Amino acid sequence: MGSISSEIQSILAQIDTAQIYVQTLGNFGVTIDGLRIDAKQFGRDASLQLFQFLITSRKRQGLHKEQIIDRIWYDLDGKAGLQNFKVAHHGANKALEPNRPKGQEPSYIIRNGSLYHLELESIVVDIDLLESLIVLGNQNFHKNQNIAIEAYTKALEFDRGVYMTNRLYEDWSSEERERIQLIILNAYMSLGELQLQTLPAEAIRLAQRALQIDNTWEEAYRLQMKAYLLNGNRPMVIKTYNACEAILETEFGIDPLPETRKILEESKAK
Amino acid sequence: MATRKEETASFMIRFTQKIFDGDDGAHEVQWRGNIRHVQSGTESKFLEVEEALNFIQSNLADLTKNAIVDKTPEEQKGILSKSFGIWKKVTAEAPKLVMDTLRDPMKQAEYVQEQIQDRIGSVKDEIGKKLDFDNVLGVLGRDNDKVMERLESISKELAALNSKIDQLKKSK
Repeated sequence: MGSISSEIQSILAQIDTAQIYVQTLGNFGVTIDGLRIDAKQFGRDASLQLFQFLITSRKRQGLHKEQIIDRIWYDLDGKAGLQNFKVAHHGANKALEPNRPKGQEPSYIIRNGSLYHLELESIVVDIDLLESLIVLGNQNFHKNQNIAIEAYTKALEFDRGVYMTNRLYEDWSSEERERIQLIILNAYMSLGELQLQTLPAEAIRLAQRALQIDNTWEEAYRLQMKAYLLNGNRPMVIKTYNACEAILETEFGIDPLPETRKILEESKAK
Repeated sequence: MATRKEETASFMIRFTQKIFDGDDGAHEVQWRGNIRHVQSGTESKFLEVEEALNFIQSNLADLTKNAIVDKTPEEQKGILSKSFGIWKKVTAEAPKLVMDTLRDPMKQAEYVQEQIQDRIGSVKDEIGKKLDFDNVLGVLGRDNDKVMERLESISKELAALNSKIDQLKKSK
């Protein structure tokens, strides 16, 4: 376990060694060389928007100025869009590198010909760490449950809210938000399953967190029911089943799946 | 005039598959869907694709209504009717395509093939109407012929691919 634990540690250590650490889940925040700056330090919202967009598009090799304008400020015409980009680009560079000497090339928002991208060697993003930890958890789900539990637990400590809460209604952030939300939801379920036999109360809490993300996630109701059953709490098994039945009826007009009903029947038989 | 932002609606759709044994012991498949209108944050859950399309239609209708508030009632009626006319075509074809794709991914390839064949037909008709090939400059004619040949060859390749997959399925 020692070596893998150190693998978890090395993932987490990236927060301290990063020149820039970006928190995208919950309140957006940027930590530069250990000092956290908030959204206000970007000045104009356009500067923050540009930086957040580049963070969201970080896996792409680079984006043309026009592509960026078209995704973020698609309501502006050509000239106004270019002007907005210029101001936003300047503002974002100023927020990230307030002491950059005049004439020196920016270190974090890199311009390569007509393409713009982030210098990812220096920037660490919370969701990348979360994802690495979840991958580690998934890899160890069957072969080493202790490691899997540790990895999932650490990963879910990053879950401080939805992805870029201040961009909830922006087209360009939706895909990443949906992707991350599903990864997190599945991690809650995986960790809950691993904790079920030893810590049923924790499994219940994790299932409830999953239901906060999607209140129709039937596996989460099932996990709770199993945990209550293990605790010998039959009334709560029935109550949870009823809640599941009600929500599925309201949202989809369907009954719970046979495997969910089976747990209810098991509890009645006991 | 509406800005481009006011003219845009984005939707995020999630499908979750459930496979279970029905009361008669046969395997059942259920697709649970969730659709979100990005710009307003409103969400809807659905079991049938038609419900998702209704959700989209309702949001698009709002978009159209907001964009034509300054028009006369008569003009509004005309624009809305045209907007719904386009939508009617989409709703007639889209559920079939989505459900076919969910049930059998190969259907999607067949659909693409049909679309290509349709396009070949319509492009031929369209060009036929506008150009008299025999009298048109040779270069333009040759280029169009090349496009036609290529489209027909893609269509044939898709047909061959479909047939190979069918054979593979049968041999399993």
